[in-house]
Amino acid sequence: MVKMQKRVFLTKEDQANYPFLKEATNFVENFGVNLRELSIEDYPSIIPRATQWIQDNIEGNMFTTNIKDPDSDILAYPLALAFLFGLKKEWVINRFATSEQKRIKTLLLNENPEHIIEIAKSGFGWDLESININQEEAKFQFSISVANYLEIAPQFHSAEWKLINRYVDKGKVYLRNLEYARLLSGAAENKIKKRAMEEEVRKFELPEKFKPYLINITKIIEQKKDIYDEETPLIWVEEAKPPCVIAMLNDIESGKNLSHMARFTISTFMLNVGKKVEDVLELFSRVPDFDEGKTRYQIEHIAGEIGSKQKYKMPKCDVLRSFGLCVGPDALCEEVWYPLIYYRKKIEEMKKRPSPVPQEQSEELKKVRKRLQKNV
Amino acid sequence: MYNVVLEQFQHYYKSLRKEDLSLLHFREREFAFLQFDEQTMIRHMSFENEAEMKDYLTIRPPAHLYYSSAYYQNPQDSNMGRKGWIGADLIFDIDADHIPTECKKNHDTWKCLDCNEGGVGFPPEECPNCKKKRISTNTWVCDECLLVAKKEIFKLIDDYLIPDFGLSEGKIEICFSGHRGYHLHVIDDSYKILNNDGRREIADYVRGLGLKPDLHGFKVISKKDPLLMGPDIYNKGWRGRLAKSVYAHLNKCNSKELKKLYLQEKNEDEEEYRERVLQKISGSPTWWGGLSEAQIKKFYVIALEAIKDMACNIDERVTIDTKRLIRYPNSLHGKSGLRACRISYNDLERFDPLGDAIAFKNGSIKVYVKDVPKIRIGDTEIGPIKEKDRKEIEVPMALGIYMICKGAAKPV
Ligand code: SF4
Ligand SMILES: [Zn+2]
Ligand SMILES: [Zn+2]
Repeated sequence: MVKMQKRVFLTKEDQANYPFLKEATNFVENFGVNLRELSIEDYPSIIPRATQWIQDNIEGNMFTTNIKDPDSDILAYPLALAFLFGLKKEWVINRFATSEQKRIKTLLLNENPEHIIEIAKSGFGWDLESININQEEAKFQFSISVANYLEIAPQFHSAEWKLINRYVDKGKVYLRNLEYARLLSGAAENKIKKRAMEEEVRKFELPEKFKPYLINITKIIEQKKDIYDEETPLIWVEEAKPPCVIAMLNDIESGKNLSHMARFTISTFMLNVGKKVEDVLELFSRVPDFDEGKTRYQIEHIAGEIGSKQKYKMPKCDVLRSFGLCVGPDALCEEVWYPLIYYRKKIEEMKKRPSPVPQEQSEELKKVRKRLQKNV
Repeated sequence: MYNVVLEQFQHYYKSLRKEDLSLLHFREREFAFLQFDEQTMIRHMSFENEAEMKDYLTIRPPAHLYYSSAYYQNPQDSNMGRKGWIGADLIFDIDADHIPTECKKNHDTWKCLDCNEGGVGFPPEECPNCKKKRISTNTWVCDECLLVAKKEIFKLIDDYLIPDFGLSEGKIEICFSGHRGYHLHVIDDSYKILNNDGRREIADYVRGLGLKPDLHGFKVISKKDPLLMGPDIYNKGWRGRLAKSVYAHLNKCNSKELKKLYLQEKNEDEEEYRERVLQKISGSPTWWGGLSEAQIKKFYVIALEAIKDMACNIDERVTIDTKRLIRYPNSLHGKSGLRACRISYNDLERFDPLGDAIAFKNGSIKVYVKDVPKIRIGDTEIGPIKEKDRKEIEVPMALGIYMICKGAAKPV
């Protein structure tokens, strides 16, 4: 099935659009733009592009590169990363990376196969192969090696991306329809997050002279942090619970015994969204092997009231997934890496949605819900 | 540990050539030892080369010698950050101990630590008497269970690694652990950077976990005219495996089982029905059409049932772990005195773990045997000897050391 591929060349525009390409990073290196030097001050026109990039990505608008001046945008990207890392906020980095993923996915959907192959090779050292097979329910456009596939696919946490549910043959995984775009953009997203965890980046301090350029961005961050920042306190909103939490609550409801991890997850979740130790205790009083003394001790420990005096964090999605506690994720799950962010986003979504319920009636509903909640 | 064992181990390591200790990426590995009669493992060791390691082993022969599946920038550093993980081999572990077999009744016993209830064979998950889970076991291996483990290795290679993962025999290294099972190492750099999540996917794949037949074509596309977009018995990977399993099951099931699957839909009896369906799904291209939705659901059940037969019984923890310690090839196993040995794919069929892995080929030893089931080492069989019949006998060195290492005998 190996076909002779037409070599295509990656243009300057490609490099601006896909800043993870080898060609783009080489170009940047030649200009001496890196965290240690940031000699970018010699190119003042680039700074506004870099801040624009961050701003768009935080706000969830698609950043569009300037095809008339791709060089500036190629250089703007590493500067944008430097600003981003200098801000030292995990949620901002995650948000930036997720928006980049979406931006890149959209662009990739409009590329032709030769181009896509070249981008995968240059960006991630992946060997995509163009194929053309129709199975009844899917068209396969590309194959990729199992090892390359597994660098990224597991983070999508869904049954259809599980290796065992793929068509696998002779070391290749077949990609259905437009899946290549999700995989490649996922790799781009990963690259940013991984870079953020490197020692050099964690130690990096943005030079003072750049700080004035970030005033606007800081404002936006301030506005958005309610949704994304883990530090902002939360209140209990019944309808915003993520699917994993709903599933675990249902298990309690139906009298099942929960695993240790499930209990820990539920406890951290409840305590993080404004519930008290007593509320959690009451909830667990329904499981068959309930032992009040022991459970109270554990919950108080998790709440940080005794022991290490530190409130425990809720486990991230990938941890829950590996414990089999992540249940078939919905569309919103696709965008989050942390159940509490699911929760925040859901609340935000609900605020935007005009309530179809008339005012008086909704007061009544609230009361009913309150009663129901007590019984949760 | 008794002197004779230490002497034999020492003698063995002295006789090794340094090539016997060769290992890929030697300088980047962490080594670990467990000495006889010691509880704590000596970790974070590194050696310049194989010769240096050999000298060490000769001076202090360990009961167990391990190397890390991971490669590190500074293997001797105990701080994970500074150690600098570079990558890790992809490894599979198949252990006779984890596979329930009939023969376990003959050589294994278990005992509840809480109420003293006990029994023979594969240990229960919880004590049937007091329901507690603290269960101690006394386990042995025999030809039968080692053969089952070997079959699993063949299944892993022939059904998964070669066809699905596209590996060639040359990229597969098999190793007998020196006790109860086999390790399989994939020598292919493309897997080395995978994290736990990626490796878990590989483990799940060969264990048949998380399989959704509807993602392999067992899916009704229209309720009105139920049509299965079939998997095809000529398909590769799990898709083909599922189609073949339905075919095989339908083909071999007896008339009672067939009755369960059969739904009277047309004017045909069960056998006619069997014929019709078999023909449909073995045609080229396969055509699963013209079956009712209820019928398709039954296939779904067969498919899920068949997964169990096809899945491979690996210990997934070993595959998922990116920092596993692995027994060193050509080192001795302190619980058996047998040699951990590399075996090529072509030799695996003929390989006799309880013979070819013998390290102490000469001499005999007088031992006092306390309690053993029927066992064999090399050409000598012994047992069963019950505790009340304990006795002194002279046996070949390898068998004697084996029983001593297992704690069932002591030198006279
Ligand atoms: S993706 Fe995250 S939030 Fe969604 S169900 Fe899974 S664990 Fe919960
Ligand atoms: Zn018991
Ligand atoms: Zn056996």
